[in-house]
Formats: sequence, structure tokens, C-alpha cells
Amino acid sequence: MALLEVEKLTRNFGGVCAVSNLSFSVTEGEILGLIGPNGAGKTTVFNLVTGFVRPTSGAIRLDGRSVVGLRPHAVARRGIARTFQIVKPFPGLSVRENVTLAAFLRHPARPEAEAAAEKVLERVGLSPRVNELASQLTLMDQKRLEMAKALATEPRLVLLDEPMGGLNATEVDVASALVQRIRESGVTVVLVEHVMKAIMRISDRVVVINQGEKIAEGPPAKVVEEPEVLAAYFGKKRVA
Amino acid sequence: MKLARRFLPALLGVAALAAIPLVVKNSFFLHVCILVLMWTVLGAAWNVLGGFAGQVSFGHAALFAVGAYTTIILYLKGGLAPWWGIPLGGLAAAVVSLPIGFLCFRLRGPYFSLSTLAVAEIVKLVALNWESVTAGSVGYLITSLPPLSILGASVNWEGKVPFYVAAAILTVIALAATGWLRSSRIGAYLVAIRENEDAAEAVGIDTVRTKALTFALSAFLAGMGGGFYAFYFRYVDPDAVAGIGLSMEMVFIAVVGGLGTVGGPLVGAVFLTAVAELVRERFQAGHLIFYGLFMMLVIRYMPEGIWGRVRKIIDGKKGGS
Ligand SMILES: Nc1ncnc2c1ncn2[C@@H]1O[C@H](COP(=O)(O)OP(=O)(O)O)[C@@H](O)[C@H]1O
Ligand SMILES: [Mg+2]
Repeated sequence: MALLEVEKLTRNFGGVCAVSNLSFSVTEGEILGLIGPNGAGKTTVFNLVTGFVRPTSGAIRLDGRSVVGLRPHAVARRGIARTFQIVKPFPGLSVRENVTLAAFLRHPARPEAEAAAEKVLERVGLSPRVNELASQLTLMDQKRLEMAKALATEPRLVLLDEPMGGLNATEVDVASALVQRIRESGVTVVLVEHVMKAIMRISDRVVVINQGEKIAEGPPAKVVEEPEVLAAYFGKKRVA
Repeated sequence: MKLARRFLPALLGVAALAAIPLVVKNSFFLHVCILVLMWTVLGAAWNVLGGFAGQVSFGHAALFAVGAYTTIILYLKGGLAPWWGIPLGGLAAAVVSLPIGFLCFRLRGPYFSLSTLAVAEIVKLVALNWESVTAGSVGYLITSLPPLSILGASVNWEGKVPFYVAAAILTVIALAATGWLRSSRIGAYLVAIRENEDAAEAVGIDTVRTKALTFALSAFLAGMGGGFYAFYFRYVDPDAVAGIGLSMEMVFIAVVGGLGTVGGPLVGAVFLTAVAELVRERFQAGHLIFYGLFMMLVIRYMPEGIWGRVRKIIDGKKGGS
């Protein structure tokens, strides 16, 4: 059975249909790439799955159990973590405290939470920065912190919203390796990314959406050759 | 060692509180001390929500009023002594805080603040117009307090000392509650909510529940402060206990003392009460100008508050930890 099932998911904002009749599923242990041009509805999908936005209609199930209607903290407790495209650290707190706050979810006592946070920080390569304020980090480190906070909730599924956006080529390689390590540690990943090179290399499968609708799905190398995808990305006339 | 360092300031503080009425016999000075302690409790009440959780309320007078009315009505109509009425006033305020929180916490930032202001105005209007319960603008007056004897000695309600003792006990409760909060997981959650509410939810913090619980604690303390007011001043009417000035004063004390610190409200209350009394004596008219000027100077040059600044200096000398 799929870990996450999204079925006929729809969300309107006023007149705009941000996500429209979208169905896809995520298999345990995979890295699923979710791609599409700007404004396609990728972030909205994450907001819907994590409870920040309520669906207009449709179903979202983790392990067969619906998560629709749960508030974001409850979704996190069920085991779905996310990062934000525009990073949302606790800016005035140290890197360590940022991650400890997330670790409290599974470790209510502070010493255990701090120990768990320490391990996660090591995994994402932020150990040298633990005492710095989150607001003082470089963009790369802010993205790492974003992942560290998500991982510290000890999720089964993590939704990464453009973790490589704004990074240079070397940093993209580091971040790709990090995403792969996350998967190797047993956490299933859905990755929204614009950096095509990274998506192609590390995704097992991709789902392409445009204007809220799914237009293609499959192995990355196949999908990018489909005319609809090319049209969506390069502005060619849509194939009827 | 660590434990000693943590509790030493608290022990010294309690000792100092206990020593004051033994040393000071001047009743005006004791009166000022009682005011300082009452304002400390109120500043601490506000600080729990405003300083730690960053939820700036402009309507805490509503909770103060609920406490004050509960205490005085229970005494005058039910014969229940104020020392029972004060904690019950706190409880009543905590209960009232739940629907207020339900309504206002849907809003964020300045919208939250304005909604609390509106709620306080509503509470004041209710107090003015629900005459069968609140006696409207006439208000309630306590003419005599019930007899009480402690260790065989009967308490003299004409002196200041019994009220000082009550205020000191409330202060210890308020500061201990804040100290506990700061070191607890809930306290860490509050800081997370202050820093970024979405991020807090995303890592599994139930922000609504955490804010509601904190508001209830804040309301409990503010309600006990109101109950104490009724007990000490023996007079409650809508202007005295539900005015917007009262709400503002609580904000000022927490801000001047130091937002999100344990000792801040005490320091803020000492400074603001002292400044208020000093300028009131010297300048009959316009004393509020100096009060306001003092506020502005502190906010401009010490945005972290007086106690916040002192702590920074101490921590800095210790090499930061
Ligand atoms: N909270 C919102 N209110 C109104 N419109 C929204 C909201 N969130 C997203 N949208 C709209 O939904 C569409 C999809 O946006 P988004 O999910 O952010 O796209 P992507 O992440 O793929 O770039 C856009 O047209 C955007 O303007
Ligand atoms: Mg997006």
C-alpha cells in the first residue's frame, strides 16, 4: 500500500483553481519529484497535505488514514514533516534551540530533545553552527536548518519545498546528497524543485503538474520528453 | 551548585519581601510597597502572554475586572471572605479567558491586540449596564472586612501589614509561575510561537492550545490581582477596574521591566510606581508628561527593558552561556 495517497484533490482560491482534481501516491522509501512551472500549485499541494490549507474537495491519506481536517501540528505528529520554500526559522533563537523545539515532538524531556537535535544537526552538517542565531545563517545553512527542523520531528514522510532554490552549483550537489541520505535513513521524500539537474538525478519518479492539474507522471528521463511537459515548461502551444 | 544559583535569587527575594514590613513602619511607604507588588503581579500576568508568547493584549483590564467583581460580589452577597474570593476571582478570570481566546486568537499581530481592546470595552460596558449583578456605575463598597485570627492574634484590618502580606504572597505565586514557565517545555513553545507561528505548527506545536493555556494562566494571575484590588481598596466600579488605562499600565510595566523575563515585572513596577509617586508629588499638574517621558526613554534606549539590560550585562560578564 502507498504511504501517501492523494485523491482528486482540489483547492480554489476565489476564482483561481490552484490545485485541480489531482491524484498521485507516494510509495514508502522513494524520492518523488513534484515539478511544474511557477504557480503550478506545488506549494499549495504541500500546504494541503500538511493542513495549512483545507482542501475544497478530495482525499489525503497517510497509511490509509485520512489527514484532511487535521491542523498542521497534528499532521506533524502523524509523521508528515515539511520545509517551507521561503524558509521559516525561529530567527531570534540559536540553531540548536530551533531544532530542539522540533525534537520536543518525540522527546518531551529537554535533555533527550537536545540530544536528538544534536544528532540531526550532525546529519545535515550544521554542527559547527549550533550556537549561532538562525537569522545569521547563510542561505545554504538556512535551507539545512529547515531540513533539520523537519527531520527532528522524526517523520515517515518529508515534503521538501525547493530546498535548492537560490543555491549555487556546488551547494546544489551538497543538498542533493543530503536529500539522498535522508531517504537512505528510511524517510520517504517528496521533493519540489526547479533545479532540473537535481530532480533528474535523485528522483525515482516524477509527477508533473501545470495549472493545478497533473500532466505527466513516470521516470524522470521519460517524463521530460513528453510534449505536454515541454509545452508547459517552454511555453509552446499546448498539444490538444 | 546549579540548583543553588537558580534558587538563590528567589530565596533572597523572598527574604527581602519578608523583611520589609519588619523594618518599615511608615504606612505611606508600606502603601507604596503594596502598590508595587500588586503591579508586579499584573505585569507578570501580562508578561506571560505578551512577553513570552508575543501575544500583545490591550485588554487585560477585562480579566482584572472579572477578578475584582468576583471577589467583592462573593464577599458582599455570599459572605465569602476575600482570601477565598481572590483565588476564585483568578479562576473566574481564567474561565472567562477561554471564550475570549477562542475569538481573539484567530487573529494575529496587531489584529489580535485590537480585538482584545474591543473585548475589554465590551466587558466594561457589561459592568456598567448589568446592574443587577455589578451594581452598574454605583459600584460596590466593602465597609468592613471579616474578622480573622492567625496564630491566636486577631488581624487588624486598619493597618497595612496584612495587605502587604497578601500582596507579597501573590507576588511570589506570580513570579514562581513565570519562573516555572520559562524553564518548561510550554515556555519554549511560547517562544517558538512568538518567533514564527507557522514554523511552530509545522514542527508539531499545538499553537492554539498552547496560547489558550497560557492565556488562562495569565488571566488567573490578572484576576487574582483584581481580587486583591477589591480587597485592599474595598471599592469596585467599572471605571476603577475595567478602564483602558489599567490595561496599558500592565503593558508598560512588562515592557519597562523587560519582556519575557521573570524579574522584569517587579523591576518595572518598582520604577514606574516610584516615578509616578515622585512626579505626582513635585508637579501637581502634568505629572503624566514626565511618566510618559520616562517610558519613552526606556523604550528608546533599552528596548529589552531595565531588567532585560541588567541580565544581558550579567550574562555577558559570565562569558555567555
Ligand atoms: N493563500 C492563497 N490565496 C490565494 N491564492 C493562492 C494562495 N496560495 C496560492 N495561491 C495561488 O495558487 C496558485 C499556485 O501557487 P503555488 O502553489 O504557490 O505554486 P508553485 O508553488 O507551484 O509555484 C498561484 O496562482 C497562486 O497565486
Ligand atoms: Mg512554490
